[in-house]
Amino acid sequence: MATRRIISQEKTLLEKDDTVGSSPAANEKSNIAPAVPTSVIMKLLAFTLGMIVIPIGSYYVTVDTLFKGNSTYAGALAAIMANVVLIGYIFAAMAEDQSEHQGGQGVAKEGKKDR
Amino acid sequence: MADSVFSPKFAPFIGMSGIAASMIFGCIGAAYGTAKSGIGIGGVGTFRPDLIMKCLIPVVMSGIIAVYSLVISVLIAQDLNPPAHGESNYSLFNGFMHLSCGLSVGLTGLAAGYCIGIVGDKGVRSYMLQSRVFVGMVLILIFGEVLGLYGLIVALILNTKSKG
Repeated sequence: MATRRIISQEKTLLEKDDTVGSSPAANEKSNIAPAVPTSVIMKLLAFTLGMIVIPIGSYYVTVDTLFKGNSTYAGALAAIMANVVLIGYIFAAMAEDQSEHQGGQGVAKEGKKDR
Repeated sequence: MADSVFSPKFAPFIGMSGIAASMIFGCIGAAYGTAKSGIGIGGVGTFRPDLIMKCLIPVVMSGIIAVYSLVISVLIAQDLNPPAHGESNYSLFNGFMHLSCGLSVGLTGLAAGYCIGIVGDKGVRSYMLQSRVFVGMVLILIFGEVLGLYGLIVALILNTKSKG
């Protein structure tokens, strides 16, 4: 009498796709959503664009209209505008830190437990 | 003005080398500052990703060094015109003046970028361990950045002299 073979419907360990680290198995979708919130990315992009556009743009806008061709004052204004962007960035970074302290207290504690 | 001992044919070469010096040296400084502090941010970001936003300040400051060089390059480039009717109207005095403009903003930018790079690298690593370092780090970075600003001020003053 032949013994009945056990036919398992489940995949064996060898047949399963592995999830290695953060890279998912072959038939699953990988998580490509950024770890940082979109608002932070938009803030960084805005500051990058401002750093490129604002100083040199303010130079070309004001050199003929406001300063009547005196390019020295317009150049000084461009340097000042670059520093204004920097100070704005420092304040934005400080505000980011404080909002995280107030809002993310519980999350921070949970994260510590994981580690 | 005719071609003379005061406005020789090679005078624009010296003025244009001022533009190149301003851009090249300033960008060397800005690149060093960005790269060195970027290494520090890469080290901090793996342990404390929430600090990255505040650690990016040295990178932004290095960008400002490059903006200073850019402003001076644009200013010098506006004073340079092609010689009209084959005669050079660009005096040797203006040439050396523009060279000194470019060198002053370029080499102070190099110094400031070097300072920002080293302070940014060590500063963000210390900030990861002790959050009180932040105010001191930003102050040191501002004083390093001001070195480039002094070069810009001198270059702007020199540039007004060449107009008269």
